[in-house]
Amino acid sequence: MKILIAVKQVAALDEDFEIREDGRDVEAEFLIRDLNEWDDYSLEEAVKIKEASSGPVEVVVVSVAPEEADEALRKCLAKGADRALRIWDDAMEGSDPIAIARVLAAAAKAEAPDMLFAGVQSSDQTFASTGIATAAFLGWPHAAVVSSLDYAPGAKSAVFRRELEGGLLQEVEIQCPAVLTIQLGINTPRYASLRSIKQAAAKPVEVKTLADLKLSAGEVGESGSHSRIRRMYIPDKGQAQLIEGDAAAKARRLAEIIREFKGDAA
Amino acid sequence: MSRTDAVTRILFEAFPTAEVRLFYALGYTAIGIFCWGVYVQIRKYRRGTALALEGSLWSRAGGMVAQVFSHRTVNRRDHAAGGAHRLIFYGFVLLFLGTATITLQYDILEPLFGIRFWQGEFYLIFSLVLDIAGIALLVGLVYMMYRRGWLKLPKLDYARTDRALGDPDFLRPEYRREDWAFLWTLVIIGCTGFLLEAARLVWLHARPDVWDTRWWSPVGAAVAQALEAVGLTAHGGAVLRLSLWWFHGLLALTFIALIPFTKVKHIFTSAASLMVRDPKAAQRLTRIPATQETPGVAKITDFTWKQLLNLDACTKCGRCHEACPARAVGAPLSPRDVILSLREFANAALESGSLPPAAELGVHGKSPGQVSMETLWSCRTCMACVEICPVAVEHVPIIVQMRRKLVEDGDMDPLLTKTLQTIHKTGNSFGESKRKRGSWTKSLPFKVKDARKEPVDLLWFVGDYASFDPRNQKVTQIFATLLHEAGVDFGILYDGESNAGNDVRRVGEEGLYEVLAESNIASLAAATFKSIVTTDPHSYNTILNEYPDFGGKYPIQHYTSLLKQLFMDGNLKVTRPLALKTTFHDPCHLGRFNKGYEAPREVLRLLGCQLIDMKRCRDNSFCCGAGGGRIWIPDPVGSEKPAQNRMREAAAIPGLEVYVVSCPKDLTMFEDALKTTGNEGKFVVKELIELVREAVSAPEIPAVPA
Amino acid sequence: MSGVLVIAEQRRGELRPVSLELISAARALQGAEGLRSAEGNTVTVAVIARSPELFLDSLKLAGVDEILAVKVAAAEFDPDTFETAVGALIEARKPGVVLVAHSVDSFGYAAALAAKLDLGLATDVFKAERIDGTLVATRGGYGQKVNVEVDFPGRSTVLLAIRANTFKPPDQPGAPRISEFAAPATASRSGGRDFIELSSNDDVDMTAAEFILTIGRGIGEETNVAQFKELADAVGATLGCSRPIADAGWLPKSRQVGQSGKTASACKLYIAMGVSGAIQHLAGMKHVSTIVAVNSDAGASIFGVAKYGVVGDIFEIAEELRRLF
Repeated sequence: MKILIAVKQVAALDEDFEIREDGRDVEAEFLIRDLNEWDDYSLEEAVKIKEASSGPVEVVVVSVAPEEADEALRKCLAKGADRALRIWDDAMEGSDPIAIARVLAAAAKAEAPDMLFAGVQSSDQTFASTGIATAAFLGWPHAAVVSSLDYAPGAKSAVFRRELEGGLLQEVEIQCPAVLTIQLGINTPRYASLRSIKQAAAKPVEVKTLADLKLSAGEVGESGSHSRIRRMYIPDKGQAQLIEGDAAAKARRLAEIIREFKGDAA
Repeated sequence: MSRTDAVTRILFEAFPTAEVRLFYALGYTAIGIFCWGVYVQIRKYRRGTALALEGSLWSRAGGMVAQVFSHRTVNRRDHAAGGAHRLIFYGFVLLFLGTATITLQYDILEPLFGIRFWQGEFYLIFSLVLDIAGIALLVGLVYMMYRRGWLKLPKLDYARTDRALGDPDFLRPEYRREDWAFLWTLVIIGCTGFLLEAARLVWLHARPDVWDTRWWSPVGAAVAQALEAVGLTAHGGAVLRLSLWWFHGLLALTFIALIPFTKVKHIFTSAASLMVRDPKAAQRLTRIPATQETPGVAKITDFTWKQLLNLDACTKCGRCHEACPARAVGAPLSPRDVILSLREFANAALESGSLPPAAELGVHGKSPGQVSMETLWSCRTCMACVEICPVAVEHVPIIVQMRRKLVEDGDMDPLLTKTLQTIHKTGNSFGESKRKRGSWTKSLPFKVKDARKEPVDLLWFVGDYASFDPRNQKVTQIFATLLHEAGVDFGILYDGESNAGNDVRRVGEEGLYEVLAESNIASLAAATFKSIVTTDPHSYNTILNEYPDFGGKYPIQHYTSLLKQLFMDGNLKVTRPLALKTTFHDPCHLGRFNKGYEAPREVLRLLGCQLIDMKRCRDNSFCCGAGGGRIWIPDPVGSEKPAQNRMREAAAIPGLEVYVVSCPKDLTMFEDALKTTGNEGKFVVKELIELVREAVSAPEIPAVPA
Repeated sequence: MSGVLVIAEQRRGELRPVSLELISAARALQGAEGLRSAEGNTVTVAVIARSPELFLDSLKLAGVDEILAVKVAAAEFDPDTFETAVGALIEARKPGVVLVAHSVDSFGYAAALAAKLDLGLATDVFKAERIDGTLVATRGGYGQKVNVEVDFPGRSTVLLAIRANTFKPPDQPGAPRISEFAAPATASRSGGRDFIELSSNDDVDMTAAEFILTIGRGIGEETNVAQFKELADAVGATLGCSRPIADAGWLPKSRQVGQSGKTASACKLYIAMGVSGAIQHLAGMKHVSTIVAVNSDAGASIFGVAKYGVVGDIFEIAEELRRLF
């Protein structure tokens, strides 16, 4: 039994960041990289299934990213993944979620897992698309925003709940193998101590290229994407009227606002 | 030959040979049982992991003898117990030496070499001394009985804070029983000793060399007079003497045989523990040995032989229990109970012939003998326990090593987990970008040198809280200004500084500590400076005591010493003396950890303040509760916090105006506690640096612009 | 210009309000008044449901040229059903732009559809326009700290998932043409069963509260919740929270405001204390007419939607405020 998990090393913006000269991205030196928050949960869900299973279950993480993502992949190894796989080729630069999904689907075909997990979205670009697009390329059943899961490795179906707007949940049954995108809060991700991360640093990350997956350059990168970034810019901040003074003065003004509102409401 | 020359006591007088032989046989049996008991204990210690001691064995032995004979550690903070135990100790030692002296002559020197010295004047003085020793012993013992039985001191209450009524090991009556048995046995041995002395005197009343010298054994003589007064005859004395002799002898032999099996073993284990102590046990924790597979302590056999010995040295005196700030606010931690639990576990698991399987040796959990997560996470690593323990038990390293295992397993409060991940990611516990570390310098009218780029005399290691917490940033800015005005050539590491790691290490995340230490040492190695100063006692402790193990040895002082020096040298002058009524809170990591009590007090004196120390000051300072990672762990809803407890203590000082601190975490914790204990408006909490600013006006010449 | 196809959303027999917002977004894309309803430049709304006739009346709004009732076998949403139906609609009508809501339902199928049918794709779009004839969508990047304009070179049909609460629904009625559209049968590989509402002992209804005081991660520890509960009571507000507080169990989930919590629909005064303003939280409250943000971080996103801002220590402010009531 095998569970494949698509993970992403996301980028957060540092203080005083600057837009690149070509205006289409932020200067690389201001990007702080870390494993996507959603991936902590999807990995933990897979490791929990593995630990609860009587038979052997292999948990494999895969990421379409350049070498700097090895750090995030090793963190996954420290948290219980058995193998880490990274796919990259310079031609993949500038890929949007659909192009990434094409690569992930090719990797999944080679790995032949019983389930594929992804996070609902990544915290940096929040497309919420990659996992589901991968399912289309694989031709697999798929569902998004899974907040609890009941799945026995190798089973023909799974039952899960999806978290809808407004705090509503819906119970769903799905045929397996399937692609599920996992929501925050489905479990409590385990802590990976620095020691275990250092030990995982000794484990290898398998690297594959376009050729290994029999993909052409036209299917990835900008040519394989279904959208193109024209311009990236820093938006004007909304104008909140700042209330000044010491704490007591601020509180007095707040009290005024509250009493005004109540006066209207009364 | 004068009559006194021949005065002595004939041993085994009027004993049939068979009885003498019987006694010797019993004696050797007792010694045999004693030796077996010692063997079992040593075998138990050897089942722990190996440990090499620093320093020479001779100097350690010398130090131990000095400590034991001065009884300094037993006397601290409890002069009554100290005094009584001194009496018991000296009494017992003298009586033991007395018996040894007799044995020396009777069994060795006389039969082999014909030497006799235990007679005449020596014998008489000997008798007097031993009588006094016996009285001392009994007085001490009776006081101890009074303490336990009548005073009912809270620290001698063995009810556990981490168990509930109904749990099997909650009240531990067997400890009380053993304590009383110990006391009564010695008292009975002492009393029967005197009675025996008296009975012999009555029996040998007719012998002038015995009767005429009887007042050299004053107690025996007095009791003999009393016995005769109620009609005891010489014959009665003989019978009494014989029966008492056997009773006293058998009781004494039983006592000796049982030493290694009972509390009495503390005679040896406590002394041994003092001999192997590490005076920097809590200040300088040890690295995980490269050979160790899993970090920290999971099984009882993961402890070192020294730690297993520590467990046996504990005499349940309760001083650590009394001193612990967590225990004081009702947290499920008592250092005493951690040690006693583990001791019970070690005794159950390690004293049999073969070692139980590994699965039964786990010390984490809630079964009897195990220590629970909640207990371990309650610790503030303030080392009040280690500091006061009279027998050198080192509780804090034991707790930290058990925490290392919890961290590896991820058994932590979610907020703590998040903080550790944040520190790993950003190098600080606030989650702020590294670039913002120096942003407190921006509003200053002068430029603070970047020690990464240019050499400085003094490198100032600022610390997380001082760099990022808004309230503490104000203090940091004032200190920078004071240094500038005093003409000190100083700089900071800006982004090159990370959390020093002191608390990360004490949480048990040793891997992350190594990353932080190595990163800071690399930054320090690349900079050029003469010495380091820090405004953060936690950073001070780890850089001073622990960084050398990682290759970073630097001269470092806490800002209080630097300020004192600047005043002494005249670089800072008090222009507006403050006539304030103050009290000083000794921060754990500066005071108790590194004995830095005087410098801040000197500075307060120089400022003209009146200093009224709280009862729990200096080495007995009461932790604010933030240490050991607790500032990153939420307190249970509704419970008192240590800082609140401390505020109430301060509020009891009449007319107090300023509660002075010299640590960023103290400032945060106590300002908060000032409000929540309802003392806002009565007095204020201030950093010593802020008081210095008030007393030292800025120089006339404006600061040089950047 | 081959028109805009809007896919409405419905659940448990009710049309989801975001469907109406999509109509306004569609109109914005059509451009100036004169271009509307020109040859091929129509706005068509498709309702895919077991009983689409239930929702037709609510969609008779200005700007809608045609409503397509698509009858399907599935009682509630499932990805396969919608992919087949929407795919068939695209094949038949060949729209230039397809608008869906950026919602939990569309998370389940939109990207799959775009992958399968080679459509242009952009999600969480809050602005869509034509610049010199080119379709340009604007969305957020790097955790909503930057804006990103994207276009779709070479794509004849583009699928856009529009952020909820960004466009106002049309307020004028209309008279669109109503037709039926037969979608091919689907063998769905997943099916929804029951809906579950998370009940709690707390019977507060955040959606009805007019004055809300919300606490976020900035309050630090659970022990501090009590202080703000007291403050909320004192000023007469309903206490709400952001997701981290509810996830940690410090307040019941019924008090959570945000995308996966409640929408503060009736709220007129919203005071957010220690709330950073993550997009999911804003989704539940940014529509409120008077928002006051109190936070020690001057750069918190919440200040972007607030009318009044207070940069300071939330505990001090809370204390001072408490004194005045």
